[in-house]
Amino acid sequence: MRSLTLGHYLPGDSLLHRMDPRVKLVSLLILITALFVIETFLGFVLFGSFVFLVFLSTRLPWQYFFRGLRPVFFIVLITLVLHFLFTKGGQVYIRWGPLTVEEAGIYLGSFMTLRLMLLVTTTVMITLTTSPIAFADGIEYLLRPFRRIGVPGHEIAMMMTIALRFIPTLMEEGEKIRKAQMARGADFETGNIFRRARNMVPLLVPLFVSAFRRADELAVAMEARCYRGGQGRTRLRELQTRPLDYCGLTTVTAILVFIIVTGV
Amino acid sequence: MFIEVKNLSHVYMPGTPFQVNALTEVSLGIERGEFIGVIGETGSGKSTLVQHLNGLLKPTSGEIWIEGRNLWSSKTDLRKLRSRIALLFQYPEHQLFEETVFKDVAFGPRNMGVQGKELEERVRYGLEWVELDYLTYCKRSPFSLSGGEKRRVAMAGILSMYPEAIILDEPTAGMDPVSRKHFLARVKRLHREEKATIIFVTHNMEDIALLAERLFVFAAGKLVLQGRPAEIFQSKETLEAIGLGIPVVTDLMQKIHRKGKMIRTDIFSVEDACREIMRSYREGVG
Repeated sequence: MRSLTLGHYLPGDSLLHRMDPRVKLVSLLILITALFVIETFLGFVLFGSFVFLVFLSTRLPWQYFFRGLRPVFFIVLITLVLHFLFTKGGQVYIRWGPLTVEEAGIYLGSFMTLRLMLLVTTTVMITLTTSPIAFADGIEYLLRPFRRIGVPGHEIAMMMTIALRFIPTLMEEGEKIRKAQMARGADFETGNIFRRARNMVPLLVPLFVSAFRRADELAVAMEARCYRGGQGRTRLRELQTRPLDYCGLTTVTAILVFIIVTGV
Repeated sequence: MFIEVKNLSHVYMPGTPFQVNALTEVSLGIERGEFIGVIGETGSGKSTLVQHLNGLLKPTSGEIWIEGRNLWSSKTDLRKLRSRIALLFQYPEHQLFEETVFKDVAFGPRNMGVQGKELEERVRYGLEWVELDYLTYCKRSPFSLSGGEKRRVAMAGILSMYPEAIILDEPTAGMDPVSRKHFLARVKRLHREEKATIIFVTHNMEDIALLAERLFVFAAGKLVLQGRPAEIFQSKETLEAIGLGIPVVTDLMQKIHRKGKMIRTDIFSVEDACREIMRSYREGVG
């Protein structure tokens, strides 16, 4: 369960931590666009070093930069293998029965893999330094223009906040129930897949029951405080953009422009 | 020695910014048939400690020995051990999952391989112990019961394993005074009559004073005091400094004693206190 570091917020006090979540979201979008515009390996190296330097400036343990890749390891691996085997063109390097590894395959495979890895690390860097609440606030604000066409921005943000808020709670609860059933001799570790699935019942039933109970209690608590959606709702902490945020936004825009103009 | 803990330390999430040192260098021993009280403030490490005793948590460093055998080095059958040293978690009513009360109470013994007549007998024993009528309750869904009944079913589910030792983690949390008193009396009988080893985790001094033969006091992951309740309650200042206290009656007796009356201070119940005060009063007059 502890390998769930993807998107796990780590508090801190760096420049990146203090940036406005809206600016961070927009910057992330710009960086992702840039990532898809890059055409050469040199571009990836430059982009990668930029992201890594920014990550170092957050003073988080640098291992987290790579740890974020763990959950997507298999997707990356599959991308690599599929391209190696099935993208044809150029010189043939290895011939193994009907399978061949050719120049274009190696080139495109490593290219796509690098892009995917940078995509994940850049996103993880943002989620590691942005609290879920701030994130939801940012999304709510950015969705505001779409309200006209019926996008319920506030509701989406509220659902996200609640969902994120309850992930650790439910994980803790699940762990507790797991231990309680293990104390009664339940076995979650051995047996084939069907047996294991059946053995999960003593864990899942109480977990669902408690999730519904919590949802119910939360709804009552929100109604008791007269919650009725986004309209006319003021906030405790207003989002504020500061010079720092404009600097950040300028930097990433400059990167995008640089990539388009030079064509790296 | 039945259960022996040697230099036990436990760290949650080591190597992350969320690292917590839950237990530091704890050593203690528990004899068979003892009634042990484990007390400490919320977050003092008492729950972490008891989860080590039946192998639910693995020590970061240190060892647990059960009847002279190292719990983690030898080929201990953990599932078997857990039916011998049973643990009832806090708010155990949240762990019920079966369709009927019978099936839920039978979950533990069934995992041990018990079947048929004996299984029924064990369920009957468990339900009887918590004073739920077997015939009325065994076919009902545990989710249709009241909170108090659910907790009793959970307790029955532990007892049906016929454990040698029972660890109870704050079993009286949220109980009303009458059921609490009732429950404590039953636990006491379990210890007296069936010679079960009981490890009772709580932060309620009134609960534990009358029951436990020995107390372990925890603060910030360390074992700070151990001894008989009467001895422990002499160090009222230490207990208050770590967020605990002593029973009101004991406090009263200590205050009277300090005023110069020759009066016993190792008293934890109102009845005993009353008797002692009357005795001292009579002697004072006569």
